[in-house]
Amino acid sequence: MSDALPVPPPKARLLERIPGLIGALSASPFALLMMFGFVAPLLCVVWFGFMPSKTFSLVQTPTLENYETIFNQTYFKSALWSLGLAAVTVVILLVICFPLAFAMAKIFRGAASFITYAIATSLFVSENIRLFGWVIGFMKKGVVGGTLEAWFGLQVDSLLYNIPVIILGMVYVYLPFMLFPLVLGVKMVPDQVREAAFDLGASRWQVFKKIDLPLSMPGVMIGSLLVFVLSVGAISEAKILGGQKVVTIASDIESEFTYAQNWPLGSALSTMFIALTTVVVFFALSRFDLEKLLGKKPAE
Amino acid sequence: MDESAAPILEVANVTKRFGKFTAVNDVSFAIADGEFFTLVGPSGSGKTTLLRMLVGMEKPTTGELRLRGKIVNDLAPNKRPTCMVFQSLALFPHMSVGKNVEFPLAIRGEREGDRRTRAWELLKLLHLDPNRYYDKNVTQCSGGERQRVALARALAYDPDILFFDEPLSALDARLRKTLQKELKDIQRSTKKTFCYVTHSLEEAMVMSDRVAILRSGVIEQIGQPDEIYASPKNAFVAEFMGEVNLLDITVTGGTSAEWDTGRKPLVINLPASLDAGTKRKLLIRPESLRFIAPGESAGNTVPVRILNQFSLGSRIQYHVEVVPGCTLTVERLREERSTATAEALLGWDLADSQILES
Repeated sequence: MSDALPVPPPKARLLERIPGLIGALSASPFALLMMFGFVAPLLCVVWFGFMPSKTFSLVQTPTLENYETIFNQTYFKSALWSLGLAAVTVVILLVICFPLAFAMAKIFRGAASFITYAIATSLFVSENIRLFGWVIGFMKKGVVGGTLEAWFGLQVDSLLYNIPVIILGMVYVYLPFMLFPLVLGVKMVPDQVREAAFDLGASRWQVFKKIDLPLSMPGVMIGSLLVFVLSVGAISEAKILGGQKVVTIASDIESEFTYAQNWPLGSALSTMFIALTTVVVFFALSRFDLEKLLGKKPAE
Repeated sequence: MDESAAPILEVANVTKRFGKFTAVNDVSFAIADGEFFTLVGPSGSGKTTLLRMLVGMEKPTTGELRLRGKIVNDLAPNKRPTCMVFQSLALFPHMSVGKNVEFPLAIRGEREGDRRTRAWELLKLLHLDPNRYYDKNVTQCSGGERQRVALARALAYDPDILFFDEPLSALDARLRKTLQKELKDIQRSTKKTFCYVTHSLEEAMVMSDRVAILRSGVIEQIGQPDEIYASPKNAFVAEFMGEVNLLDITVTGGTSAEWDTGRKPLVINLPASLDAGTKRKLLIRPESLRFIAPGESAGNTVPVRILNQFSLGSRIQYHVEVVPGCTLTVERLREERSTATAEALLGWDLADSQILES
């Protein structure tokens, strides 16, 4: 008796492949959109960075002159400002949001959803409009200054155009992006695990350090990365609230593309900054293995 | 309770209210040093609330908790020399087995070498090979292994009293039996006081020196398992002990009573005399009921119809019907199985029945 497995007829094999085909077909519109909307422009930008300065054609001999310009001039300053402001924003938001996230996840019951809606609603209004609202609040004889003068006779100069107000604006604008992932992160810490640690003699601080923080780390990481990536490319806060006090890399890039009409230099700057952000983000991700934190992978 | 042993924990008139709801109502008892004490009750009986007060996660509304004579009502769990094994076990998922066990030692600031030695000892005590388990992630352990890790971690804390919130309930029956015996062994060898909470009286009977039965926030009966089995205080306790027959009776005078079967009352004899009109429950264990051969006599006999019979291994269990809708459970040894097929005469001796309040 032959023990060879029966060979399926060709028709059956085609049927087996159909789910895969359907999957590929369903994914293709999105794949095409991503190709034309994300990958292709990105490659264009990277390539444009190698074109001669102040030209508008992609078919020229590649050159490194834009990168020379970047390194010879003080663009690194605006890059550092962007990274620095983003880092400070992340740290401040972590400190502000963790207690609030903890309260929303563990303590507030009905109030938690109210806070969620209230904060989510603020996202319905364009960021620029909200920031101009702040300008009215902080300008000379604005809502804050005017009130202080009228009630207490204090002469307050404009509170705008300084670094703290830029940071305040960034903290305000990016708060939801930190808060919501943190709430999810804190929700992942089982109550009984916290109680057990407490019961085994740990103080509140030890419970926070050894249980709450490590177990909510996925939320902390996701929130920090979101806020970092968004705020490192931020432009409006520094422009609207900061005036010309601080020039971020994003406004440098914008002015190259618009005012200076130097697309190749703008492209080179963008490429540099994308690379820099990617390195920072991947470094952070490699330091914190999300899967290990989630307990899916054994500790090595 | 062994009167010579000093109580390690005294609960005096403890009440816990949540708003208008009284979860624990004026409960008093004492746990002796080195005792295996079990609180048992159905869900909603207040046993978990009581336990949470004993470990310090809830505060009593009124009453006193005294640990070695000192009032500990307001002492936080991390300041109490007691420790609890949670129902969910509450292992730290981001730590290895070894780090879980070492946690209380690390909190106490012990040196790493000492911690490791102690964790190694405890894992061995709990039949977990430290070479294999010390570095294993707790999320990869099986249910039984996780139980052992949780117990090792609690023992590492070296508490005066170890509390258990039915940690074995999620395991399959066989593993549960094994772990019950192990738990008892560990209690004996470590000489620690264990206070266990469960909804299963069977579990309580196997392990405990003493058992307290809770119903709606009140202790119904407290005593050694044998005492409770032999003389349950009321019908609730009796029913909680396992499968028993409880007959609704109304005394008609002296030792004579009417059994309300739902259809027609049957006249039966009682083991003691009571005032006429008194309503009680009559407890008859399944093993006290027997089939009566012609010519044989018993204190009470009733004609029944055999509905079903199940084999319980060495015993056979019968479900018999007295009148439609009124059934009794009979258990006989395999050797004494009934030859009757459908109609039979069932009887019990007066001494084998007990009159209980409901």
